[in-house]
Amino acid sequence: MKTYLIEIKLNGEWQKAEITAKETLIEVLRNKLGATEVKNGCGKGDCGSCAVILDGKAVNSCLTLAFQANGKEITTLRGIGDEKKPHPIQKSFVQKGAIQCGFCTAGMVVSAKALLDQNPNPGRQEIKEAISGNLCRCTGYEKIIDAVQDVALESKP
Amino acid sequence: MSDAQKKEKSFQSGHKIIGKPLARHDAWDKVFGKTVYADDYFLPGMLYGKVLRSKYPAANILSIDTSKAERLPGVKAVITAKDVPNNETVTRFGQTHSVGGFEGLYRVLAYKKVRFRGEAIALVAAETEVIAQKALKLIKVDYKPLPGVFDPIEAKKPGAYKVGESESNIICSYKVRKDDVEKGFALSDVIVENTYRVPAQDHAYIEPESGVAWIDDDGVITIRASTQVIEHFREVAEVLGLPHNKVRVIGTMIGGGFGGKEDITVETYLALLTWKAKKPVKLTYTREESILAHGKRHPYIMKYRTGATNDGKLMALEAELISDAGGYVYLSPWVLLYSTVGATGPYDIPYVKVDSYTVLTNNTFSSAMRGFGVPQVCFAYESQMDELALRLNLSPLEVRKKNYLRKGKALATGRVLDHYVAFPETAEKALAALGEQSKPKSPAEKIGRGIASGMTSYGRMVFLHDTSRSYVSLDMDGSVTVRCGVQDLGGGQSSSLAQIAAEVLGVPMKDIKVYIADTALTPLAGTTTATRQLYMSGNATLKAAKEIKKNLLNKAADILEVRPESLDLQDKKVVVKEALDQTIPLTDVIAACASDGIPLYNVAQFNAPFRELIDFKTGQGQVFPDFTFGTHAAEISVDVETGKIKVLKLVACLDVGKAINPLSVEGQLEGGTIQGLGYALMEDVVLKKGVTLTPSLSEYLIPTSLDVVDVDKVMLESGDGLGPFGAKGVGEPSVVSIAPAVVNAVCDALGIRIFDLPLTPEKIVKALTKS
Amino acid sequence: MNEVDYIIPRNLEEVFRAVEKKKRKIKFIAGCTNVIPYMREEAISPELLIDLSSLENLDYIREENGIIAIGALTTISKLTASEIIRNQSPIIFSAASLLGNPLTRNRATIGGNLADASPAADMVPPLLALEAFVHTKRSEGEGREIFLDKFFLGPNKTVLAEDEIITHITFSKPKDSARGIYIKLGLRNSMAISVVSIALMIEMEGKVCQKARVALGAVSPTPIRVYRLEKNLEGKEIDQKSIQECSVILKEEISPISDIRASAEYRKLATSVLFKRAIQKVLNGEKT
Repeated sequence: MKTYLIEIKLNGEWQKAEITAKETLIEVLRNKLGATEVKNGCGKGDCGSCAVILDGKAVNSCLTLAFQANGKEITTLRGIGDEKKPHPIQKSFVQKGAIQCGFCTAGMVVSAKALLDQNPNPGRQEIKEAISGNLCRCTGYEKIIDAVQDVALESKP
Repeated sequence: MSDAQKKEKSFQSGHKIIGKPLARHDAWDKVFGKTVYADDYFLPGMLYGKVLRSKYPAANILSIDTSKAERLPGVKAVITAKDVPNNETVTRFGQTHSVGGFEGLYRVLAYKKVRFRGEAIALVAAETEVIAQKALKLIKVDYKPLPGVFDPIEAKKPGAYKVGESESNIICSYKVRKDDVEKGFALSDVIVENTYRVPAQDHAYIEPESGVAWIDDDGVITIRASTQVIEHFREVAEVLGLPHNKVRVIGTMIGGGFGGKEDITVETYLALLTWKAKKPVKLTYTREESILAHGKRHPYIMKYRTGATNDGKLMALEAELISDAGGYVYLSPWVLLYSTVGATGPYDIPYVKVDSYTVLTNNTFSSAMRGFGVPQVCFAYESQMDELALRLNLSPLEVRKKNYLRKGKALATGRVLDHYVAFPETAEKALAALGEQSKPKSPAEKIGRGIASGMTSYGRMVFLHDTSRSYVSLDMDGSVTVRCGVQDLGGGQSSSLAQIAAEVLGVPMKDIKVYIADTALTPLAGTTTATRQLYMSGNATLKAAKEIKKNLLNKAADILEVRPESLDLQDKKVVVKEALDQTIPLTDVIAACASDGIPLYNVAQFNAPFRELIDFKTGQGQVFPDFTFGTHAAEISVDVETGKIKVLKLVACLDVGKAINPLSVEGQLEGGTIQGLGYALMEDVVLKKGVTLTPSLSEYLIPTSLDVVDVDKVMLESGDGLGPFGAKGVGEPSVVSIAPAVVNAVCDALGIRIFDLPLTPEKIVKALTKS
Repeated sequence: MNEVDYIIPRNLEEVFRAVEKKKRKIKFIAGCTNVIPYMREEAISPELLIDLSSLENLDYIREENGIIAIGALTTISKLTASEIIRNQSPIIFSAASLLGNPLTRNRATIGGNLADASPAADMVPPLLALEAFVHTKRSEGEGREIFLDKFFLGPNKTVLAEDEIITHITFSKPKDSARGIYIKLGLRNSMAISVVSIALMIEMEGKVCQKARVALGAVSPTPIRVYRLEKNLEGKEIDQKSIQECSVILKEEISPISDIRASAEYRKLATSVLFKRAIQKVLNGEKT
């Protein structure tokens, strides 16, 4: 099998991986780079659970070939915040009850972060649009929208 | 929060932790990406498993040739039915299958005949997923396609294509007889008769089925899987011909269940593959495989005939329910029983006749899904109520108010409701919460509102003698460990136990550690199904914690020379209730107990009421421990030219008994309402001659964030539930009555009734054109 | 088996050298939002992936001398963020906003949407209504300038040769007096494949319609212009009678199929409804 060596800046650190041409970014992230927080809900861009930030834009990692991430910066949930330094979005998700089974959470937080990076004060409808590529089956979306809105309000001057 | 919600919030109880909207303790791990879901687990030397599935919904298997697959480099195991020690188990229940009894065949791998498209035929384990996939292609199956049967009404007829091995495709049937229903119709001034149809619904959890299995150092087959029922370890052991204690199931944090991970999914396949290959194996379904191969909500055909007097009093109800069980029995008989008992809804009807059947077909098998047979009949009986209202010139609320059951009244099955029945309260409040009716913005827009009431059991059927166990222990420093077999679906199952222990023992949540879902190491707590865990494990944990508290307070009473009744536990201290400044540190009392050999751990068992089987000939007797009562209300707008529906307002008003964690309860109300909204408007597992036309989430549509509105939640807390602190279960009740509320709203808008789900734009337009 | 090569050319010469040299089953890729699902379900089995996404000078939105040009690698998100698109061709803005979902819009390209040639492709009806041209380059011979209405041959089939790639799309900036609208009917409000979509551009002079361009998606093997209908609108007042006639013409000019999303009858009916609505809205000055 023909393989290629690529380098990805994952959550701030350069990582190498050996890949085949057809391998998708999510496969490399989960199976080779230990980024299991990136979830595989459908494999074809219908659910958004695999969302990551690639060069500043939220994208489906299952619809991106690993090769296309070569030399690029990827941010996943773990790069957005952790126990030592939680991101306000993460705190808000927990406090607002926006997490039930948690499987959509990684993708949701990524989409929310991408939104707030572009627009720090989105309205409720804008939040709904920003996460309209992320399916959730447990929460009905309401508390997720509440959580993002809270962060937006908090950051208002 | 609306005014209604504020008014209904917790009565003042002095609880410190119960009733508080606390952040769930599993939520932090989830938001930091630390939770190890089933597919996130890797072991050195792990193989990848794949399942070969039937191409045809009905066919004979003439031969299977696995030789090429076995020879492919990297393949470590190939298994077909002949390799399985006990490929089939049969459960028999009841005396005769014509009334209540049934015979359920669980077959691991297809043998001689396939019964639905997607039925598992062979298993492969290989060094990589790619190799496993190639191996599947190298397995040659020689099929002889058979005609099959795909409509349960056809399948029910004598002489129909035999799906299984017995003469009849009817798995079982039930009857409810309350007096002579024809007398009731004779007393009725108005009779409404309609047939309702509901489709298969997919759970569409975002996490597909998944697990990893290995053989541990003691030869125990260990399965770490996303499952709602770890106790399937017994069935897996029987398949392998092993003693039960040689199979261990560890339940992971589940990425959504809703009943779809209640039956065995990957566990048996994993056990077989690891047993054969002698290496760890991972098996994760693709989304398409999940939609293809796991059980669905039962499609139903429901014939309802309802009679009432001119002033709106229900006199007679006759119903015939037929459910499509698909290719195998699974939980069909139980789902049917729930529908049968629930067929009359929360109404007091003097003359009742219900006949129900569940029938094998060559469609994907149907099994458990949130609501378990009740959403289907709720759609039928709540549509009937609105039809009656129209005929009688009464409002939907009025006609219901004249007929709601009350505490002390009996269901048609003779079971007296012995706890508070929140009707008409929830209906009045739900309707009121809709506020003023919105005005249409264009001539093509029509607006309508609807309500629907539901009565949903929580806790398992009482003749199953349900029990749950939980272990609580207090360590020397006052930290607490809870061990309980509960499986966590994401509905706060494990978190609630921490809250209960924290409340009883006066220890902060951060000092509570909960271990769950391990058949070897946690006391078995039963299934996470039937909205039973808070009720059962919550009560078991409560009982265990109280036992420890009793010992602590007795010891503290000795020390302080007071009566134990005057003491309480708060903030890691023993306090004197009447003089809160008089305290002893908890650790002091713990040390004193330890020194005297007084146990500060307890395994408690909680039993649901044990009752005997109902009389299946008349359907008389008690089936469920208790019910949650609630009403949904909806306001929608219909575009009469395109048929597109826009949701304007949704209200969920339920009596939750006691909200242990209001944030979690709200989450259930919101999530359940939106799942029901999907059922009403867009979800349909379309099968054509047993082949799915909705193979992925591009075709099988569930609501996105742009399809929903906020749900106005009105939570009543009667305190009259059987769960800890008077709680009732809400997981399933929250989904039951929303679809009929939406349908009633649409019918209100259009002035015509639609009798089947989902309400696609095309269906609306067709109905309007016909009328 | 399944040895796949991957090439990232930096310029067009490298693209065509790769095409010529390798002589294998090629797939040009960019956003990959369609290609990966096709590969996953084994609908295609390419041997060489030629990744165009690093090509320079194919990612732009420009207005020059009354012509708007969009590079083939422009993502759908970039279209929705562009002032030129929002102001000069709002129907493209609408369609882009409704394509897929925000995550796929960040990767999907306008070139890819055209090359994939789904009968329900969201970007095509507005470009048809704007009478756009597709510009290509190929390894053998000259590139072409193809009128978009001649670009599609059938479902997922275009006139592109195996070695031909789209470089950019152009259309004339609509007159200030021109008005347009794009309406999409789907079964839910995001991530929805169109059941019917319509793009309409008209130029009025007083009450008389001077120019009408009507394009439909998801109701024929390819997205289509409806010339008969346009002719029925032009040169006269738009009134109930002409709208009614148009409805009849529409039903005759489209050939929708019945599929999992809708029946042919419903699509016919919905097309008529959407057309009437589109006309009313445009005459009332509404943009959505």
